[in-house]
Amino acid sequence: MAGAIIENMSTKKLVIVGITLLLFQAFAFMVGGLLAPSPTTAMPYTATKCVDTVKHRQEKKWFMPWGPNRCVKIQSFKEAVAQKIEANNIVFAVHIPLPNKEMSSWFQFMLVILQFDIAFKMYNQIEDGAMVTIDVGLAYRDDTVGEWTQMAQSFEQRKLNCNFTTTKTLENEGRFYECDLMPFMEVGSVSHKYYLLNMRLPVNERKKVNMGIGEIKDIRLVSIHQNGGFTRVWFAMKTFLTPSILIIMIWYWRRITLMSRPPVLLEKVILALGISMTFINIPVEWFSISFNWTWMLLFGDIRQGIFYSMLLSFWIIFCGEHLMDQTERNRFSVYWKQVGPIVFGSFCLFIFDMCERGVQLTNPFYSIWASEVGTELAMAFIIVAGICACLYFLFLCFMVFQVFRNISGKRSSLPAMSKARRLHYEGLIFRFKFLMLVTLFCAAMTVIFFIISQVNEGHWHWGERTVQVNSAFFTGIYGMWNLYVFAIMFLYAPSHKRYGDEQSSGQCITGDGGASSGEDIQLTTTITRVDGPTEIYKMTGKAAQE
Amino acid sequence: MAMDDFHGGLVCTQDYCDGWMDGETERKTERINRYLAKLSSVGSIRDEETCERLRGLIQRQVQICKRSVEVMDAVRRGAQLAIDECQFQFRNRRWNCSTLETMPVFGKVITQGTREAAFVYAISAASVAFAVTRACSSGELEKCGCDHNVHGVSPEGFQWSGCSDNIAYGVAFSQSFVDVRERSKGQSSSRALMNLHNNEAGRKAILSHMRVECKCHGVSGSCEVKTCWKAMPPFRKVGNVIKEKFDGATEVEQRKVGSTKILVPRNSQFKPHTDEDLVYLEPSPDFCDFDARTPGMLGTVGRQCNRTSKAIDGCELMCCGRGFQTQEVEVVDRCSCKFHWCCYVKCKQCRKMVEVHTCR
Repeated sequence: MAGAIIENMSTKKLVIVGITLLLFQAFAFMVGGLLAPSPTTAMPYTATKCVDTVKHRQEKKWFMPWGPNRCVKIQSFKEAVAQKIEANNIVFAVHIPLPNKEMSSWFQFMLVILQFDIAFKMYNQIEDGAMVTIDVGLAYRDDTVGEWTQMAQSFEQRKLNCNFTTTKTLENEGRFYECDLMPFMEVGSVSHKYYLLNMRLPVNERKKVNMGIGEIKDIRLVSIHQNGGFTRVWFAMKTFLTPSILIIMIWYWRRITLMSRPPVLLEKVILALGISMTFINIPVEWFSISFNWTWMLLFGDIRQGIFYSMLLSFWIIFCGEHLMDQTERNRFSVYWKQVGPIVFGSFCLFIFDMCERGVQLTNPFYSIWASEVGTELAMAFIIVAGICACLYFLFLCFMVFQVFRNISGKRSSLPAMSKARRLHYEGLIFRFKFLMLVTLFCAAMTVIFFIISQVNEGHWHWGERTVQVNSAFFTGIYGMWNLYVFAIMFLYAPSHKRYGDEQSSGQCITGDGGASSGEDIQLTTTITRVDGPTEIYKMTGKAAQE
Repeated sequence: MAMDDFHGGLVCTQDYCDGWMDGETERKTERINRYLAKLSSVGSIRDEETCERLRGLIQRQVQICKRSVEVMDAVRRGAQLAIDECQFQFRNRRWNCSTLETMPVFGKVITQGTREAAFVYAISAASVAFAVTRACSSGELEKCGCDHNVHGVSPEGFQWSGCSDNIAYGVAFSQSFVDVRERSKGQSSSRALMNLHNNEAGRKAILSHMRVECKCHGVSGSCEVKTCWKAMPPFRKVGNVIKEKFDGATEVEQRKVGSTKILVPRNSQFKPHTDEDLVYLEPSPDFCDFDARTPGMLGTVGRQCNRTSKAIDGCELMCCGRGFQTQEVEVVDRCSCKFHWCCYVKCKQCRKMVEVHTCR
């Protein structure tokens, strides 16, 4: 029977294909676990408290926390009190990275998180809803002696979410508040070697700026960047995967075009899935090594978003095309109800991402979560996206349930059918169940590994070696979905095998080339789109139902 | 006597802080606080020559000092931190750490190890680890983290796999610098064993209370990608932990097991102490009376006490049953203040009458 390759393949060959894919899968996990370092590094910094001795500065001065041109610094604010230094003259300086290190464009991105150490004082407590206003500047340079070049400058407001866990008594003065981490900065490319952050917390009593924020003891920052080693492994993986998916995609589409009938919806969707996978795979990130492309982070999000929505749409359409209820679908518009939530949900996330990472292209300190309105807006987008996701999964579950109901209905009537019709349905059921199984397996793997990587410390010790669980998760899962798309394109490509006098089991002799493509008597690749002889079966099917 | 041990334990202990003063005059009766204050005004310890001038350091410590001069500034800050924290934690007790102020830097014989000594050793070792780690993260030290304990061996190091935690360096430094005194004495004496144990317990107080903080930064900020790191607890927290360990410290004695000597609980019915517990060898004196022969043993005469409290800060216990005097004192207090986050306060002065109880 001429259906998809998967139906016509011998069990032996199918097992071989399966094992090969599993081997690649294991390889993908191993690359991440054994070869790559952990995906990201967090580096803690304590801001150096520099003293700006000049009252009104004409031009911008950058304060270095250490090194030859270090600023005049104080260790604690006790000294500042003694020397009568005002809050407005204190500059918090942080140099990224630490001495003797260099940043590199292999780090891909850099996030900075801000934390305040605020001591509890009975008569100087943090007021409710206190906002802290930070006058912050970011500069870079590429050698250790040159001048700093300003990259960004901004007045930022952040809400102090601090609580004091013990009782607020005189006894407990000097203990620190526990404050939430504040997202502070995000840059989408690390193309310079040295970065310098200068922060001031200007006080203005009249305008109530930085009043009631308690007694600040220290400012701590944490910078997060992708590890260079992980980036290299990741790039290598992408560079390897791109041609693999591309080749199978071309091969798949050639097969489809060789058929006498035009491609059906499901075939087009599979191709679209392949294209979106290739879109993710194409290692454009290589350019970020030599070009200062800050939009790479946003672009990566968009690519992933497109792939996810394509994958979700594929599942819906695959289920729909295997419903076996004799309804003519094969049009994208039929699925608007199911695909609508996906499109709308991802659109919401896209808008949200544009509001966050999009704005960060111009102001790296921007955070949508910093303002009241922004937080509500962001939450609204995320909630709508969440609702869309729920809706989608309801639809999907309902469809899968319908398919299974139809399958069990068909099962009972199978023996009574004609041979060709029976094979057709058996093929459908097999195809569906196979994909269902593989999809469930992949989804379960993703969830399991996600949980492991969340719960775990990040690396396991395995004898002498350290296994980087988080890296293994990324490379493994990425490899897995690539293999998934690969397998779908390979196994669900139309078979060239001629249906005729072979055994009814759907298995056939190996080594059949694509020679007979011209006179393909495809029963169908999808159930509804029928061409040629299958029209009869459809009619007979209808008759049988009646 | 026992008092000597306290000072014996402080980072500036057994005397090596003394040397930091400036080494010219050996003022053994100098107050610790004073010379630490002096020390901080001395400026940083920059060149190797300063190491030589620092008296009180044993030879091995001078070597470490020379090898890592840049760290010594942090060690100095650590010493101050330890004293402040000790005084805070013991402010309501008969021995309130302030006795150190009037105590000679050198103790007479450091043979006794009391609970208080255990505390001081622990907080000192912890404070050095803490201060060095802090200095690492502010970029003051050049050979922190990355050069030591890089996980994942690779030639590129930082570029390939980032850095290891700074705390590892801080703790390792504290181990090599603070512990070397005890180690050089040989591990035979029970006092050395006790000190080493308490030093380690102090550092464990930091290590086991590291907070894990995480940030999600996946697609649209989802937790698909999450990075976690360990953050040091505030030093007040470390002080509280060590104080709790002080309250539950175990009295131990030395016993020989095979060829090694170990400390075991004196009372065999107590469960053995863990690495994080403090241990001591001798019960503490009551700290009630001034003892001219024991420098630093001030007694509690003249100390303020709390009349309503039944605890150790209550007049009953604090004054050791000698009774107390009550005085009405006018206190000028600051009130309705306006604070800036740093360094500036504008207040009105309020006068009020307060009853002050002092021990006889």
